[in-house]
Amino acid sequence: MDEIFMILTRLLMGIGHLALIVVAAPLVQGLIKKSKAFWQMRQGPPILQPYRDLRKLLKKEELVSEHASWIFLLAPRIVLAGTLMAGLVIPGAWGWAPFSVWGDLFLFGASLGLVRLFLTLAGLEGAGTFGGMGSSRELFIGLLTEPALLLGLIVLAFITEATSLQGIMVGLQSVSPLDISKILALIALGMVSIAEMGRIPMDNPDTHLELTMIHEGMLLEYSGPSLALLNFAEQIKQLLLLVLLAQIIWPSGLISFSDGLLGTLWALGFIGVKVAALGFFFATVESLFVKRRLFRAPHYLATGTSSAILALISLWIIRGQI
Amino acid sequence: MGNKESQSFRQLFMGLSIVLAGAGLIWGTILTCRGGDWIKTGFQLFTEAGAGLSLTWKLDGLTVFFLFILLLGQGLSSLYALGYLKEYQDKNKSLWPFLINWFLFLASMFGVLLADDGFTFLLSWEMMSLFSFFLVLYEHEDPQNRKSAYIYFVMTHVATVLLTTAILYLYALTGSFAFEAWAKAVPTLSTSQLNLIFLAFFIGLGTKAGFVPFHIWLPYAHSAAPSPVSALMSGVMVKVALYLFIRLVWLTLGPGPVWWGWLFLLVGALSAIVGILSASVQSDLKKLLAFSTIENVGILGIALGSAFLARSWNNSWAMNLAFVAFFWHTIQHMLFKSLLFMGAGNIIQATHTRNMERLGGLLKRMPKTGFGALIGIIGITALPPLGGFWGEFMLFQSLWVNTAHLANGWSKVFLPLSIGVLALVGGLSIATFVKWFGISFLGQARSTVAEKAKEAHPVQYITPLIVGGLAVLSVLWPSAILALINLPLSVLRTGDVLGISSALGTPLNLSSTYLILLILLTVIVIVLSKRGIRRVTATWNCGGPLTPSLQYTAGGLTNPIRVLFTKVLGSHRHVEGDFAGTQYTLRSLTYEGKLKEVFEYSFYRPAIGGLIWLSSHIRKLQAGSIHLYLAYLLVTVIVVLILGR
Repeated sequence: MDEIFMILTRLLMGIGHLALIVVAAPLVQGLIKKSKAFWQMRQGPPILQPYRDLRKLLKKEELVSEHASWIFLLAPRIVLAGTLMAGLVIPGAWGWAPFSVWGDLFLFGASLGLVRLFLTLAGLEGAGTFGGMGSSRELFIGLLTEPALLLGLIVLAFITEATSLQGIMVGLQSVSPLDISKILALIALGMVSIAEMGRIPMDNPDTHLELTMIHEGMLLEYSGPSLALLNFAEQIKQLLLLVLLAQIIWPSGLISFSDGLLGTLWALGFIGVKVAALGFFFATVESLFVKRRLFRAPHYLATGTSSAILALISLWIIRGQI
Repeated sequence: MGNKESQSFRQLFMGLSIVLAGAGLIWGTILTCRGGDWIKTGFQLFTEAGAGLSLTWKLDGLTVFFLFILLLGQGLSSLYALGYLKEYQDKNKSLWPFLINWFLFLASMFGVLLADDGFTFLLSWEMMSLFSFFLVLYEHEDPQNRKSAYIYFVMTHVATVLLTTAILYLYALTGSFAFEAWAKAVPTLSTSQLNLIFLAFFIGLGTKAGFVPFHIWLPYAHSAAPSPVSALMSGVMVKVALYLFIRLVWLTLGPGPVWWGWLFLLVGALSAIVGILSASVQSDLKKLLAFSTIENVGILGIALGSAFLARSWNNSWAMNLAFVAFFWHTIQHMLFKSLLFMGAGNIIQATHTRNMERLGGLLKRMPKTGFGALIGIIGITALPPLGGFWGEFMLFQSLWVNTAHLANGWSKVFLPLSIGVLALVGGLSIATFVKWFGISFLGQARSTVAEKAKEAHPVQYITPLIVGGLAVLSVLWPSAILALINLPLSVLRTGDVLGISSALGTPLNLSSTYLILLILLTVIVIVLSKRGIRRVTATWNCGGPLTPSLQYTAGGLTNPIRVLFTKVLGSHRHVEGDFAGTQYTLRSLTYEGKLKEVFEYSFYRPAIGGLIWLSSHIRKLQAGSIHLYLAYLLVTVIVVLILGR
């Protein structure tokens, strides 16, 4: 009986975890848009605009290309589901991840890989040039981000001697915020996150200019509910990466029911503030830089990878193990 | 041979092959379920006193595992061949060479797996090479295929020379061909002797496995062979070579120095990267798959390397993880690569082209083949929820544990770097297979042959779907596969090692949870988003008409990769514009892109050139003058007299 109760609690908490992500994702998007508007001295759309956009798109009629097959309609659904799967291993507001197992840090990148596979296939569905262009570039950037992402997380795993993201976040609490290898790993992950979020200098989320778009290129054929799902998945992915970075910079540790209602609410507010601050930071970065040429992307991402490798070397040097 | 007769022979032979495989699988499962000591110690067949005088065979847990793979591969590809061979029969091509060599090839692989002494091994190894060579040569009408088979023949014999040398050397040292006698004698050998034997085995077996830089034959042979043979060669034969690494190096030559492990790791990483990079820029359906086999063999090599390193660092946990990853990935690669070769075979029979630039839009015309292929690409790119990922997952952890438990040294940097290499390989393989699937199955047809393509014979799409079903099943019920993996592990386990059930059972049962959750979430999203109307329209093309040539090409899709890795890929491009007067009025544009096989050009060509140069100089000795030969005789006599003094 106790076991069933345990499983049920776990299940409910898992659903709560996902629900929180689902609810907060458009809000973060709105916040980033607002922050960018702030730097551009504009009023900007209201913070709740992304919710309205999604609702509007969900109600609209959907146009499907005559060349598309069933993958065209399946892809947005799997993309959203895959992104949520990635969300299951990210420790949320209470430092708890529903799918926390030994080695789950590999699951995060792999789930995003599944998302990428279906997105790029969907880009080829329309038989047009823009979709193919988007897919080609996305694949190129994707393969360059992967080593940096994995190496960055691996270094954190070595620092804390845990391979689950939840364990890493708990372990990081006792690590000094100025730990050099942690900072280097953070730089690597930050650079990867920018590329993964499809932001400047890798991609520009605000443009539909044929020659520059990457993510939007793959989405060009989509409309109505499917477009809503894809945009939503992108917002969720952005939130996940921000939460991950926030938890590395200021780990909040595990918070359980024993901390009382106030404690849990406070943790929720704390993560909100952290994510908002990071979102503002990335909006600032985006306002300060320009988008780079595609073939400059390897330089940028190689910088990320090298800082991850440096993080690894410095970790062992500091510990006196080399 | 008449058409009718040919049909009955095809059905009879392939049916027999399937029945034999099925019976073998069932009988083997019953036998192993009963268990017994023979799994660990081995069950010797037809062994007489004085090994080396007769052919000796042995069956133990390690063999059982690879026999399982062989039988499964045999059953599946025979089933597929049942449909595939119909085309040859319709073309009135004699099926005898195929059918006979098919059986002999399978039998010789059995021989290699069961061999218990050097002589038996070499004999069946040679037979395996020879009969697979005949199978590659089956479509000998095409000169390209003859060339491919020839390269295969030469490379495999260079390898055999090394293997023979090593085996004869061991015989000279120990006076026996038996593996057991070698294992006993190994501690008495000097390090340099051991290293020499190891290197000969490494190159000899590595050539068959497809390790870079001995891989050059693989893309030729695997793509020239008829598709069922490609499935068997990529899925099974390559694994047989890897089996021998465990049998001859791990079990017989023993732990060895640390650098053996590093060699496996480095060559594995190199193979993985070179394999997948070359695959990503191919536009030949089957050549791409063959290069991806090299990549996967590289991943298996990294797993072996991690196991070897863990063994020399006494890290039983990492060793177990590495081996579970190795065996898991072996099964998964067999399944997915067979599946993809079958898919490629269907496309080739439907369109009669291997060039992806002429395909496109096949998913609508061959939906069942396409569905199978989609499962295949998710598996082969090592993405969750399918099995390809869970193998790499274990491998990552093995590398992590290996590093974390190491006291100090630069190894702590290099080992995690191979995780980075694997990540890069993963990204590249996504690009490769999105191209393979997306260009052939999605979008518009790029030629009339693709437009007129029809779904293959039912057997030919049902078999890949069965393979896909097995792959999904292995993820849903990983404990069955783990029980199978336990068999070779019980042979390999030396000394006290952690049980696999506790440490490894959980992460792999994760696979079923992940799969179920993903499907559940997808269904929820589908149900929730099911509203509104859908209308089929033209693709947006800025208002212009959309022609098939406006699509991205196979070459274009991965062109950024080609540009970034120009040097590694030996990529050359030449663009020439024909201008009318000014540079703004272009009449025509010619583009020529070429990929040189870097290893072929920078390593094998000079080597062959050197050999020819050397022999042309040696030929001067043979001037044809009788006086010269008399002089040689005189010199020989003098030398012999001096030596025999």
